[in-house]
This record gives sequence, structure tokens and C-alpha cells, in this order.
Amino acid sequence: MTGWPSGRAHSNSTMPQNDSQESHYLSMFAAFEKNGASDSPDWLKTLRREAIADFERNGFPTARRGNELWKYTDVRPLANHVFARSDGSNHEQIDFAAYKLPCPRVHQLVFVDGHYAADLSTEPPSQSAHRAETIGHRSEGLIVGRLSEAIQERLPLVEQYFNKQVGSSAFASLNTAFVEDGALIYIPDGVSVHEPIYLLFITTGRSQVVTHPRVLVIAGVNSKSTIIQGYESLITDAKPGFTNAVTEIVTHSGAVLNHYKLQREAANAYHISSTHATIGRDSHLASVALDLDGGLVRNDLCVKLAEPGASVKLDGLYIGEGERHVDNHTFVDHFAPRTSSNEVYKGILTGASRGVFVGQVMVRPEAQQTIAHQLNKNMVLSDEAEIDSQPMLEIFADDVQCTHGATVGRLDATAVFYLNSRGLSTQEAQQLLIQGFVSEVLSAIVDDAIRQYTDDAVLTKLV
Amino acid sequence: MLDIIDLHAEVAGVEILKGVTLHVDAGEVHAIMGPNGSGKSTLANVIAGNPAYRVTAGTIEFEGEDLGTLAPEERARRGVFLSFQHPIEIPGLRMDHFIRAGYNSVMKSREEDQLDPLKFDRLIRAKAKVIDMDATLTKRAVNEGFSGGEKKRNEILQMAVLEPKLRILDEIDSGLDVDALRSVSASINELMTPEKATLLVTHYERLLTYIQPNQVHILMDGRIVASGGKELAREIEIKGYDWLAERQGA
Repeated sequence: MTGWPSGRAHSNSTMPQNDSQESHYLSMFAAFEKNGASDSPDWLKTLRREAIADFERNGFPTARRGNELWKYTDVRPLANHVFARSDGSNHEQIDFAAYKLPCPRVHQLVFVDGHYAADLSTEPPSQSAHRAETIGHRSEGLIVGRLSEAIQERLPLVEQYFNKQVGSSAFASLNTAFVEDGALIYIPDGVSVHEPIYLLFITTGRSQVVTHPRVLVIAGVNSKSTIIQGYESLITDAKPGFTNAVTEIVTHSGAVLNHYKLQREAANAYHISSTHATIGRDSHLASVALDLDGGLVRNDLCVKLAEPGASVKLDGLYIGEGERHVDNHTFVDHFAPRTSSNEVYKGILTGASRGVFVGQVMVRPEAQQTIAHQLNKNMVLSDEAEIDSQPMLEIFADDVQCTHGATVGRLDATAVFYLNSRGLSTQEAQQLLIQGFVSEVLSAIVDDAIRQYTDDAVLTKLV
Repeated sequence: MLDIIDLHAEVAGVEILKGVTLHVDAGEVHAIMGPNGSGKSTLANVIAGNPAYRVTAGTIEFEGEDLGTLAPEERARRGVFLSFQHPIEIPGLRMDHFIRAGYNSVMKSREEDQLDPLKFDRLIRAKAKVIDMDATLTKRAVNEGFSGGEKKRNEILQMAVLEPKLRILDEIDSGLDVDALRSVSASINELMTPEKATLLVTHYERLLTYIQPNQVHILMDGRIVASGGKELAREIEIKGYDWLAERQGA
């Protein structure tokens, strides 16, 4: 296998020698370049080649030793599995009721096995005409549209913001190399979008496919919006699929963005996602990540509080059962003064599942008057389940207020008895205590209709 | 109603109750007094079925039924209630949801009507009014951030909703100032009926000036060493427990 033309590729001798793992993706890329990607703009073609070269050079992070970022998560099964790109075959059997948000109006983009499903996607009526007129004018209309269309139409917005904060990890590189479709969301300055923006990525599980969903969000000055990203598997006894998602978020001054993720992929699915956000002056991101399912799950969530007054609230819930493995890495970069972060991640682990939480908070020297709080709480409900929790606080400024903590516990026997003594069975008591445990995270979702949907999703899972 | 015969119980392998015998009839109020570590709370918890304690000998009968093999929720459903000395804080679980779940479990076991949230809300508001408690507290997480007094009042609210037959109140007076004690005691008295029995566990005679006991029992080192009328409590208040220990030893 030869190196791809790229300024960053060095020599073949430094590349990983295990051909069976990476070479499959390299040949898939060669085919993709000839076929699906040939009419892309030049800047994107270049980016793709650089990305595949990065992937070829770095390889999958399968080495356990000295690989700090992946030391708790073994991706060899994923690396060894051969997935195909989806051919986008039809999906008429999807019963959408199960995924419908209980909101009267919603901007909804649905992708099935990575391919846009026009029949399942909707926009509030008043917006459709509006959008058609204004796509391409970045300072005017709201854009909730397909990324592929925006690329096709040579929207300057895409080139300006795409892949500016992602870095060159193996999985993000693969996503960039194979980027095909996903969503572009642009909230113009001063605009409040009242309807939720719902991006749904469904894996059918009918064949062993890899998809690379890509989402680019630009929130304009003083804009307000709510985005929910769903990752669902159509059938539970699915063939293993691999979702390799990347989301990029930029918020400008004063923007408020609620970003919710609900991941319920199949028990044998591989779900790797990275989300990168840059938060502007006095802007606020509220992120809630709910990982309720999936076989091997790894999420990287990186937030850069880039300008003074930027703030972020990060809430997460992960549920592990059976043999599942769920790994959350979060990184909050306090880059500017007067920035604040508040993070609460909670895990419930049963069976022989394994959870990982690594939460890094960096306060740079110039980030004075920073407030950073981080908490990771875990409920481990079986002897075989396991959690590795690693908070990492790096503070280089002196005028800061930072706390962090991690707890691992079982259900409190005294609390169970308290509930028993009021007539509740032990099973009912445990359920109520677990619901109480997760409610702090669920209540971070402030939109009632979405919260109703996510509460149901979580409670169904916990029963 | 409650018949305890030669009850022995241990926690973590240490024997705490060393042969307690006690009879409480419907309509009666009994007070259990004793110094710290004498086994008062253990007795209260063992009757309610706390699995942290192990009964090693003796029996507890409630309305003629042996409680020994019954899970704590089964006891609660039959009408046994324990007001906790230290009520548990449960972040994230709303008070009214919690009491309703308990109430409906009890009703279900008796094949009586369960209440939907709306009807239950009416019930709990009425009960809160009876015990002079701010009903908005029931919208908060169970005991989270409650003051000592609010926690105790909250226990009484749960009792008011569940209407148990046997009311075991474990140091209901601890952490209450005089006004709160008077008010909580008034609620306990008001909720008392001839079909119910009350077991008061306390350190201090003061509580018994508000809630009149039919009998006072002194528990020391896991045994009841003296029983009598409320004048016994008065005597303890003046002379302390030591004279009883000496009498016991003599």
C-alpha cells in the first residue's frame, strides 16, 4: 500500500504493519474517490487525502501500551471487523413512530445507513420556502440542510468552518476522508429557532455497514437553538454496524445552544463519536449526552471556551449492561478569562459491562477567574461490572474556582430499607433510587417535549 | 397488637438486644427510654424489619401474625410504620412521587384503590395541612436540604398518608426546637385513634409532656429493666439512668 499524496505523510516505514486492519479502509477510500467523491470541491478532495494519509500513518489506536487516550478501551475487535460502505438501498419498512419527537413542529433530517431519507425528513412549513430562497447567503436565512447539498452548492460557510477543530485521531480522520453526508446547521445572528432541530441517524442492521455521519453547527451572534442528535438501530438483533460520527460546533458571541445526544444503537454496534465545540464570548453551550445502548461506545467531547465569558454545561448519562463497553472522554479547555464549565456525568453499570470516564479540564494561564466544576458518579450494580473513572484537572491560572470528584457506589442499603418501610418492594425501591440518580442529568434537558421523549427513553431502558 | 417475646438481635455479629419482652395494645402509647447504645433504635428497626439487623432468638407478633419472616415492605403493608431517627436524603426523587409510590403499594396489597397523581396531590395537601407542614416541600427531593425539623415533620407526613396501625417513632424529638416539638407532638396526638398504637423511642422526658404515654419502659444494655407509668420518666429525668443500673446490678 502506498502513501497518499499529502504534505504530512512521511514514509511507509513508520506505518503500522498490520495490513488487515487499515488496508481495507484504504482500498475503500480508493474506490470512494473514483466513485462517490469525484465531483467534490478541490479543498475537500485535498482534505480527504490528508485525512486518509493521517489514518494510514496513525492507524487504529489498537496498541494498549503507552496509548493514554485508549488505555481503557480495546478497539481491536472493531479494527479487525470488515465493514462495507452502505449502498443506500431502500428503507421503506421503517416505522418512524418510535423515533418521533412529541413536538408539533420540528426541523427533522433523517439518515438511514448514512443516506439521506427525504421521505422521513421534514421542515416546519414556513421554513421550507424561506430556506430555499436563502441557502447560500450565510448572513441571512436559517439553514437546516444536508451537508452534501451545501458542499455541492459550494457554500462558502462549509469551507470556512469544516474540519477546523477536529485534529487527526484515527476515527475522526476516517470520518473526514469518507465524509459524504450529514447536516449543516446555521443559525443566523439574532435568530431564535423555536422548533427543535432533530438529526436522526438510523442504522438498519441489515448489513454490516460503516457510516460516517458529519454534522456542522454554526450558531450566530445572540442566536438561540436546540439540536437533538439521535443514533438508533432499527432492529435489536442487528448485524454489527459501525457508526463513526463527527460533530463540529462553533458558537459566536452571546449564542445559546442546547445540544442533546441520544444514542441507542444495537447491543453489538460500534459507536465512535467525537464532538468538538468552540464557544465564543458570553456564549453558552448546554450539552446532554445519553448513551443508553450500543456494544462498544466511545465518545470524545471537546469544548474550547475560546473567548471571555464563554460557558458550558456538560451532562451525561451512560448505561452499561451485558458485555457492553461505554467510554466517555471529555475535555474542557478554559482558554480565556471568566469562562465557566459545569460537568456532571453519571453511569449505571450492570451485568459484566464496563464504563470509562476520563474528564480532562484545562485552565490555561490566561484563563483567570475561571469556574470549573466536574463530577462523575457511578452506580455499579453487579460484581462483574466495572468502572474506570479518571478526572484530570490541569490548572495554570491562579485566580480560579475548581472542584472535581468521582464516586463509585452500589445502591445504598439504608435507602432501600427506607423505601421498603413505606411499602415499596425492593425492586420498586431500586427503580426509584436509580431514577432519582439519573434525574439530575435528565433535568438538564430544559425543553419539555424533548425531555418527555428522553425521559421515556431512559425509563424504558431502566425498567 | 404488638407482642414481643424474649427478643434477641445482633448487628454485625454484636448482640444488641438480649431478651426484650413487650406488649402493646391498640389505643396505647408506650415510651421506650434508655441511655445511648442501650438498643432503643435497634428495637425500633428490628420491628420494622431492617435487614441490617439479625434476630437470633425470640418472636415479634403483630396482630397475631409472626413478623419474623416478613420483608419490611410486607410489614409496612400490614400497618407497621417506622419514623426514622435520621431520615434518608434521596436526591432526584420527589417527595410526593415517593410517598405516592409507597401509598399505592400499600393500597395494592390490600386490594384497595390506588390514586393517580392528581388525586394523590389532593390527599397529600390535605394531610400536610393537618400536620401544619408546607406542602411545597413535597415537590422537593426526599429530605434533600431539609432542616432537621423539616425532616421529622416529613416523617409525620408520610405517617399521616399511610395511616399505619403501629406507629414507631424513633427519636422524633431529636433536632426539634420547643415550638417544632410542640407542633409535631400535636400532630402525632391528632392522628392517634383507638385502633392505633404508638411506640415512642426517646432520650428525654420532655417529649412525654406532650404525648402522654400509658407505659414507660427503660431499656438498658439490651433489656427492659423497668416499666411503669409516666412518673418513671420523671424519675429518670431527675435521677438519670445510673440508679437503675445499680439496682440492676444489685
